[in-house]
Amino acid sequence: MIHRLSSVVAKSVPRLVVLVCSLFFAAPLLALARYSFQNVPTILLGWSTLFDKWSVTGVTAVFREEAFWSSLRLSLTLAAGTVVLTIGLLVPTALWVHLRLPRARALLEFITVLPYMVPAIAMVAGIMIIKPHARWFLNSDLALVPFYVVLALPFTYRSLDTGLRAVDLRTLVDAGRSLGAGWPRTMVRVVLPQLRVAIISAVFLTVAVVLGEYTLANTLLIQSLPPYQELFVGREPQAGYALNLLALASTTVLFAVLALVTRPRRRQSSLVRAIVSSPAHSSENPS
Amino acid sequence: MSILHLRDLRKSFGSSVALEECSLETREGELVTLLGPSGCGKTTALRIVAGFETPDAGSVELGGKDITRVPAHRRSMGMVFQGYSLFPNLSVADNVDFGLRTRGDAAPDRRRRVGEMLELIDLVDHAAKFPHQLSGGQQQRVALARALAVEPRVLLLDEPLSALDAKVRSSLRDEIRRIQREVGITTLFVTHDQDEALAISDRVCVMSQGRVEQLGTPMEVYRAPATPFVARFVGTMNELPGIVSGRETVSLAGIEIHAPRCSGESAGTAGRLLVRPEDLSIGESGLRGTVVSLAFHGATSAISVDVQRLGRYLTVVAPSSTVDDLRTGAETTVAVDASRAIWEAT
Repeated sequence: MIHRLSSVVAKSVPRLVVLVCSLFFAAPLLALARYSFQNVPTILLGWSTLFDKWSVTGVTAVFREEAFWSSLRLSLTLAAGTVVLTIGLLVPTALWVHLRLPRARALLEFITVLPYMVPAIAMVAGIMIIKPHARWFLNSDLALVPFYVVLALPFTYRSLDTGLRAVDLRTLVDAGRSLGAGWPRTMVRVVLPQLRVAIISAVFLTVAVVLGEYTLANTLLIQSLPPYQELFVGREPQAGYALNLLALASTTVLFAVLALVTRPRRRQSSLVRAIVSSPAHSSENPS
Repeated sequence: MSILHLRDLRKSFGSSVALEECSLETREGELVTLLGPSGCGKTTALRIVAGFETPDAGSVELGGKDITRVPAHRRSMGMVFQGYSLFPNLSVADNVDFGLRTRGDAAPDRRRRVGEMLELIDLVDHAAKFPHQLSGGQQQRVALARALAVEPRVLLLDEPLSALDAKVRSSLRDEIRRIQREVGITTLFVTHDQDEALAISDRVCVMSQGRVEQLGTPMEVYRAPATPFVARFVGTMNELPGIVSGRETVSLAGIEIHAPRCSGESAGTAGRLLVRPEDLSIGESGLRGTVVSLAFHGATSAISVDVQRLGRYLTVVAPSSTVDDLRTGAETTVAVDASRAIWEAT
């Protein structure tokens, strides 16, 4: 009897934890969705009005505002610039450290985690100090790119590092070189395919960081998407929160796409198809 | 004819010396094994030959040409690694094709060559599989085919069997030897496993602390070890403490033994006589002791004898038929044939 009871408890507890956690995350979002998409006064939002007057008209108004599109364009441009700079700098650095300077790995890990520990506002303070000496650069909207590279480092480096640790990169590189491939070909044909998933993850994480970054953009008076969202919420609270919810949904979709694209895909080359379909092979393997 | 020649190679990593005046010459088509304990410099030597490391001093010659500074991808060396080194994103056939494609061979030639290689390793039916779908032994066979596909002048094998279980290891070892003979390629094989080295090699190069201790056929290395290190490292060795008592005589617990290889030592020098188990026999005269254990191995048996006057347990390997009546705990006598024994002064 006791054994049966403990078995029931053992099965139920994990389910209960999952249920409570789901509610913890879903309830505020559902409340936000109701507030944003129901044309019902907040004070009347209750169980009796659960299905009343749902509408997206509030949020569609934002799509007619030029300021929204320009801030979105800017955020996407910043995201693209950050991705290019991050991947361009970080992939060769991480590779170099893994292959040639393994002892520096701990130092690199420490450096890349620093932006996570130091708040963005501290970086703003630093930028303000150097701003008088670098106005030509810091007055440009794209000045945010290098700072976003730094902010995204804890995520991007960890993603790449995990990818690098998952394979015996040194042996694969040596194998490629012993088969006649120089460094460029070894990188393209051997190393990068092994890091495909890690690089895609790093790209998506970078985009997510840039699309959600508010402190730096707002302090430097750069009208990217998050500062625009803040302004819009102040002006049109209901539609503003709807926009925030849409941004959140977009990020979720982004991660779903990430999961989809990073699934292992292995295609047969024409050489394999030729060998498999050759008469010699067919005779040995009639099936 | 010598094809690969390592001349006085020296290599340090920081304060640690990996290779010290390491020289070696291999003949066309032979399989030479670099044998030694971990850290003896055998893998460093192989990596220098492959072009992955640059020596601090010395040179590597291939067919009479100095290739010390030639980059790895231009050396014409095929290599099989200790860890599984197949490219995970490529199928078996594409892995074998990698070097051919890199070299720019025409598609029909590549197809023919990949087919030949897969036939050589008997994995034609696995052409479309990916590395994760193969066993460890199959992966190493594909790695071997991939290395041989580009027809390198020298094949380098860096402990290719060490990650495999004993049964696969033994069969793959034989297969490597068969393929090496069939292709007739000069091969440098690195291992720390003496059985593997003795079974597979034309010649064995025993290394210790970055130096070549002995280079010889497996039989030479086993039967006539050049140094006490080789004697201890290759095969089992009994160490009998004694004192040099004459020009070619050693006294073991008061018993005079003829030991020609201690002829250079002056009388009264204390040391150890290193004797192979098969050079000891259960006989009428010699060192008295008690049988501690008996292990039957079919044609031969291993007998452990406690010789109290030496303070040692001696291992004797004898034909099973000659030790039929021996029992654990019985008193016996161990005869010593020291004609090949090595003397080590202490």
